[in-house]
Amino acid sequence: MSQPRSQVALAAVALLLGLLVVLQLRAQQAGTGLERQSAQDLTLLVANLTTRNDQLRGDVADLQRQLDAIAADRSRGATSVEQLRTDLERVRIWAGIDAAEGPGIRVTLYGGLPAAAVSDVLNELRNAGAEAMAIEGVRVTASTTVGGPVGGLSVENTALGPRIEILAIGNAPALTGALTRVGGIAAQLQATYEDVRVEVTPLDAVEVPATDAALVPVHGAPRP
Amino acid sequence: MTTLGARVRAIPTWQLTLSIALVALGFLVAAQARGEGPRVRYTTQERTPLVEAVVALQAQQEQLKAQVLDLRSRIAAADQAAAGSDQEVRALNDALLAARVGAGVVALEGTGIVLQFDDSQVPVPPDASAAEYRVGAGDLRSVVEELWLAGAEAISVNGERIVPTTAIIDIGDTVLVNSAYLAPPYQVAAIGPSDLYDVLAASPGFVDLVRARADRFGIRISVAQPASVTVPAYAGSVTLRYARLPAASPSPAP
Repeated sequence: MSQPRSQVALAAVALLLGLLVVLQLRAQQAGTGLERQSAQDLTLLVANLTTRNDQLRGDVADLQRQLDAIAADRSRGATSVEQLRTDLERVRIWAGIDAAEGPGIRVTLYGGLPAAAVSDVLNELRNAGAEAMAIEGVRVTASTTVGGPVGGLSVENTALGPRIEILAIGNAPALTGALTRVGGIAAQLQATYEDVRVEVTPLDAVEVPATDAALVPVHGAPRP
Repeated sequence: MTTLGARVRAIPTWQLTLSIALVALGFLVAAQARGEGPRVRYTTQERTPLVEAVVALQAQQEQLKAQVLDLRSRIAAADQAAAGSDQEVRALNDALLAARVGAGVVALEGTGIVLQFDDSQVPVPPDASAAEYRVGAGDLRSVVEELWLAGAEAISVNGERIVPTTAIIDIGDTVLVNSAYLAPPYQVAAIGPSDLYDVLAASPGFVDLVRARADRFGIRISVAQPASVTVPAYAGSVTLRYARLPAASPSPAP
């Protein structure tokens, strides 16, 4: 075998080798993730995604209507002051900049809980569709965090005692059901911590205050 | 021994390289062939219809989110164009932009860090729970909370912006953020002061998290400090069906 021929052979083998390594790695990656989920979990995933997609479809339709309305206003030479006001009110309530009221629930946590457990309750309420929340009179925004050791919890400089009240606005039966279902967060907390009790009360009207936080970024700027 | 040594030396290097490559090739061909058969059966059985449904729904969701973002930017542009002369409209538009920034429906760019969390590569002992070796919703919730406490102003996880309504939950092995299905590695991007990482790394909560997850189970945590970090806009609903302004105290909004 002459030198150039051997080089061609080597190159060919190296090429094949590379291809196979990539194929093998790809095949191994494809095996992880969704395929290893149980049918039950996959069904939950499908339900979750379907609900969210339906919401998003509603949003797309709303936004399209809004855009059409603006275009129609402009062609008439009118400005959409009313629509801007409605929008502003909605976004400010949603963000926590303004106070809010509506139907909902009161959750009372009795006993010594770690910060993560209180966060779990808030997470559960968000997952159940709570639109606005307050914990011991402090409005819950994206960045509201419960911190501190057991017995010395606090939220945004407000100390939390052995009795913590959380108010949530939303569909009261859905919120109640999410917390009190079999194996739900209330049952989990009461099973894990002996002295802990969770009380959930549906209410016709709940009021939560505006946040004290500025919600104005100093280190980031809007990106077009 | 000497004869063998002499023989090995006599073989040209390219032949040695070639034979090593061929042996490796043989292994890979065998691995590929063995991996191929069972997987084809496995995937054709398991992928339909539930996995297919998840994949299709997730793809739909991406499209819908892109549509939402596109429509929002077109509305914002139309509002701005309408603003022109009218002072009231201009004031309303400015207030609306500020509210949208506060709500997290506007992308932000600034100083910050990106933390990456990935599943452990440590073999799971037979008596252990495999879930402990994976990054779960609890881990991501903890790091997000530690970032807020360290002074972060905006956070996203794999592109999903953390907003007031964001829930981070486990469904089986997967993590849902804003009802979007995310897969590892999880990249947590945070905008904040330039010492954000120093504050985070010094906080007992983050130290505990690293100790409990990385040191004990091999969860892979890494950090990057790029010159600028982008946190995308929330692409979901900003709709209210139950909450409204309290009747008693009217809005202080302009």
